[in-house]
Amino acid sequence: MVGGFSILLWIGAAFSWISFGIQFAQGAESPFDNLYLGVVLALVVILTGIFAYYQEAKSTNIMASFSKMIPQQALVIRDAEKKELPADQLVVGDIVEIKGGDRIPADIRLIFTQGCKVDNSSLTGESEPQSRSCDFTHENPLETRNIAFYSTTCVEGTATGIVINTGDRTIIGRIASLASGVGNGKTPIAIEIEHFVYLVAGVAISIGVLFFIISVSMRYKILDSIIFLIGIIVANVPEGLLATVTVSLSLTAKRMAKKNCLVKNLEAVETLGSTSIICSDKTGTLTQNRMTVAHLWFDDQIYSADTSEDQTTQPFDQSSQTWTALSKIVTLCNRAEFRPGQENLPVMKRVVVGDASETALLKFAEVVLGDVMDIRARNKKVAEIPFNSTNKFQLSIHETDDRNDKRFLLVMKGAPERILERCSTIMINGKEEPLDSEKAEAFQTAYMELGGMGERVLGFCHLYLPENEFPDTYPFDTDSMNFPTSNLCFVGLLSMIDPPRSTVPDAVSKCRSAGIKVIMVTGDHPITAKAIAKSVGIISATSETVEDMAKRLNVPVERVDRRQATAAVVNGMELKDMSLQQLDEVLCNHSEIVFARTSPQQKLIIVEGCQRQGAVVAVTGDGVNDSPALKKADIGIAMGIAGSDAAKNAADMVLLDDNFASIVTGVEEGRLIFDNLKKTIAYTLTKNIAELCPFLIYIIASIPMPIGTITILFIDLGTDIIPSVALAYEKAESDIMNRRPRNKSKDRLVNEQLAVYSYLHIGIMQSVGAFVTYFTVYAEQGFLPTTLLGVRVNWESNAINDFEDSYGQEWTKYQRTYLQWTGYTAFFVSITIQQVADLIIRKTRRNSIFQQGLFRNKVIWVGIFSQIGIALILTYGLGHVTALNFTPLRFQYWFVAVPFAILIWVYDEVRKLFIRRYPGSWWDKNMYY
Amino acid sequence: MDWLILPVDCLVMPIKILLFYVIFYGCLAGIFIGTIQVMLLTVSEFEPKYQDRVAPPGLTQVPQVQKTEISFVVTDSKSYETYVSNLEKFLKDYSADQQTENIIFQDCGDIPAEYKDRGPYNDVQGQKKVCKFKREWLENCSGINDPTFGYRDGKPCILVKLNRILGFKPKAPVNESLPPEVMAKYNPYLIPVHCSPKREEDADKIGTVEYYGMGGFPGFALQYYPYYGKLLQPRYLQPLVAVQFTNLTYDVEVRVECKAYGQNIQYSDKDRFQGRFDIKFDIKSS
Repeated sequence: MVGGFSILLWIGAAFSWISFGIQFAQGAESPFDNLYLGVVLALVVILTGIFAYYQEAKSTNIMASFSKMIPQQALVIRDAEKKELPADQLVVGDIVEIKGGDRIPADIRLIFTQGCKVDNSSLTGESEPQSRSCDFTHENPLETRNIAFYSTTCVEGTATGIVINTGDRTIIGRIASLASGVGNGKTPIAIEIEHFVYLVAGVAISIGVLFFIISVSMRYKILDSIIFLIGIIVANVPEGLLATVTVSLSLTAKRMAKKNCLVKNLEAVETLGSTSIICSDKTGTLTQNRMTVAHLWFDDQIYSADTSEDQTTQPFDQSSQTWTALSKIVTLCNRAEFRPGQENLPVMKRVVVGDASETALLKFAEVVLGDVMDIRARNKKVAEIPFNSTNKFQLSIHETDDRNDKRFLLVMKGAPERILERCSTIMINGKEEPLDSEKAEAFQTAYMELGGMGERVLGFCHLYLPENEFPDTYPFDTDSMNFPTSNLCFVGLLSMIDPPRSTVPDAVSKCRSAGIKVIMVTGDHPITAKAIAKSVGIISATSETVEDMAKRLNVPVERVDRRQATAAVVNGMELKDMSLQQLDEVLCNHSEIVFARTSPQQKLIIVEGCQRQGAVVAVTGDGVNDSPALKKADIGIAMGIAGSDAAKNAADMVLLDDNFASIVTGVEEGRLIFDNLKKTIAYTLTKNIAELCPFLIYIIASIPMPIGTITILFIDLGTDIIPSVALAYEKAESDIMNRRPRNKSKDRLVNEQLAVYSYLHIGIMQSVGAFVTYFTVYAEQGFLPTTLLGVRVNWESNAINDFEDSYGQEWTKYQRTYLQWTGYTAFFVSITIQQVADLIIRKTRRNSIFQQGLFRNKVIWVGIFSQIGIALILTYGLGHVTALNFTPLRFQYWFVAVPFAILIWVYDEVRKLFIRRYPGSWWDKNMYY
Repeated sequence: MDWLILPVDCLVMPIKILLFYVIFYGCLAGIFIGTIQVMLLTVSEFEPKYQDRVAPPGLTQVPQVQKTEISFVVTDSKSYETYVSNLEKFLKDYSADQQTENIIFQDCGDIPAEYKDRGPYNDVQGQKKVCKFKREWLENCSGINDPTFGYRDGKPCILVKLNRILGFKPKAPVNESLPPEVMAKYNPYLIPVHCSPKREEDADKIGTVEYYGMGGFPGFALQYYPYYGKLLQPRYLQPLVAVQFTNLTYDVEVRVECKAYGQNIQYSDKDRFQGRFDIKFDIKSS
């Protein structure tokens, strides 16, 4: 980011040293001024560099500390002793033990397993846990069952294994290093800053060279011309600006971190603001990543359940007897349990041991019925058959809590069609009725409907075992199944879904009004994906996919005009067969797209497709396999909770709460900072003209130097720094989330209008004000303006100590120099005073200051006071330090520029008024930046 | 304001912009000139508003060429030509034939006397009179008898003058503070000037120093003060003291410091020309 300006300043420093060398060799009287100037310039470059580095390092540190927060430990058997070691100390050949819940510390080959299942989702994208054993089952290490991979988690069971790969050599490590190979272009803001640097450097160099030629042809000495050139460069380069930009970005980064967006790379702050497409994951980002009961079907009716994050009650009708029976099955036929010691936590936040569906049912029951564990204790379990994939049901037999009822209760849940097969009756309003074909039809309809919403449906049935056949002492044997498992009574259906986060629909609609396309990319089934997409608004209520249209019009899919469908659900299988053009067509023609059943690799293809459309793409991801896509994206967003380290490393930003809505806040901050950087740059550029004009007029009119190079540095790096940072705190002028994302090639950070308005309007006005002060100071000391023209050579001559002023008085060289420094100070003070006005007008670009509120941004006032405070300290406090070229200044000179400051304010208000009055007019086109 | 919203045309646009800038910069120039004029109205044409940067006065010498150094070869008239012409040019205004108009010039006597106050600093009474300064007072350094001001003989003259400051009244020094050589010719209405070697080791190289001034006094007489400014005293003649070094050691650099003494004449380390100056002589015999 520092590049261009540093080079210019180095050139300036080099020139200073060269001219020092020449002057020193010639034995001039005060050559050390140039030496100091060179040193100061070099210092400026070095300090800005260090500062930028420090800021970057600080935000990288956040990241480093973040990953250190969870130090990974591994249980290793070394020297016949079990030891806890940090995972990074493992070596190949170590034997490690793993149990449910652990993260696997390296790639290991398993030598002993007991019910071990691993979650490979971060690696392969498979969401179901995979079982592991010691058997070699496949040539491909990714397929074989006896290898567990680094950074995946062991879900249940225990295992022991030998470490075969560590660190970067693990499978994950290799993918992560692959990701680093994916090209990563410049961030949009880096491009903008570069463009701006070129612009300013271009102005600096062309004016510098132009005036070098002019001064040489005006018979100035080459040495003098070089010194002028240094002055012009120093005046033109906004030395403090890059530091300001860095500070502004890191302030925004800090603000975003508070809103759960942790920015790793400062420039990414703005990238999010330019984003035009977000490719979002479904699980965890759009949804709560937690199965929740969404619908119930009993008494031939579908009820909806509350799926929000913080549910405490369920609103559906619970008066029916059937519900009582159903709730009993839900409670009892369930192996999931709350971890102890969480009684004070809300139900939804408690940790549960058990699989996703059972957890959902447990929490649902706990919310509706209260203490589930107590109910289970009162209905003692006497036998149980856990769920397995051949039976596709789960069954348990309980005593009842009714002391008079000695019957056992058999409860069963499972895949609805399998459950229905085993039933002969169905419970309607608490009464058992025979299951005829009509009722079976009703079941089918309900099952289809729930399934069609992308929900996982479970059927529930029960049977009270007759007391005479099954007395208290009856020995239930689950292996021989010495109890009935058919002719049961069907009670109802429950369907579950991973529901969208409650904040997401709002966030998606915000994205839409902000002109950002949200594309869902998920590994899930298309039906589920589409259902979630519809419920969060990624597919809006009115739009249809091609398939929907075909269904509505009752024609084959091929005959539907694809262009008329606004939405599209693309299956991973289809995507595989698509050519790039076809993909582009899909991305182009449909505004609402869902990619389902995609592999993480396909995510990369989708990202590249979006980038071909010229979009700035944000990608969210959590798995290791997402890391190439995260890297490829203009801004990769990793999930802070679910995300793997590889994803976090590849990403530019980490969402600490995994919540899609946080991205939207990020977008808002990003857009705001872009607008505010414009203001900052406009503010900073303005005074460059007021610093440059003195040199130009000095060269052309040969007046005493109005402002010194050192003084310019005091403005650029002293008084102006805090105010320009303060502009980063400015609130948005209008709803920035209601406009389209900026066009990368058209909406530049620094456009022609900004440069022209800053340089040629406000800058010139500032120069006029500063020159009036300058001439006032000289006139009141005896040099009327006309006397000053053309005096440069004699004025600067050391030998002339009786230089005559307008009144015939005679001045020694030192007296003149001291007066010249007073002039510097006056010029400095007037620029400072007018920069206050400049700061105030830069608060808005279109609205009146009074609309924006003069006092809403308190930091601006801190800026103004600091500006004036620093100026006061420099003039009165350091006025006696010769090297700084400041002198104490009569108090009234502080006010000479005030009318010009007011003029600047009024002029800018008029400009804004016309812009608002006549949008699209000539004025608007040329004056709005 | 209708011209603001005219439909945009490819040709109209640049013309409009040009017109805008002509008007805009025209207005700015007007404002600039206007404010400068208003500012000038507050400044008197007869006396400056502030003099804190110009006072206390500097002490300067004639001839003044490039550096404060006088370096020439006695036998080569070309080498001191510039010094001589510089002196001659400066003294032209001091010639008797330039001081004949009695309406401007006033005879202020031959011995130092009290300040001559000439009323307020304005032109209500017209221009102020100016004291005559007779060139003959400078004797050997007047250029009347010796057109090379002693340079021909290796006895260079320099003229010492106190910088003009409007309204400034130098105060004669208090006796005790003066070096003994100056004390000898003490006069209560005189600002004495004395030149001495800058460095101790030059003490024997400087030789005899002759001073010529009003009535033979080596200093500036107070009746020439205060100065009323360019407008009221356009032909003001500031009092001079000529200093001739009659026995300078040749072929070696000799640094001489000349000082004016007065209660309100100060010296500063930063400004080496305030109330004093130093000059380097480098006279080569051949």
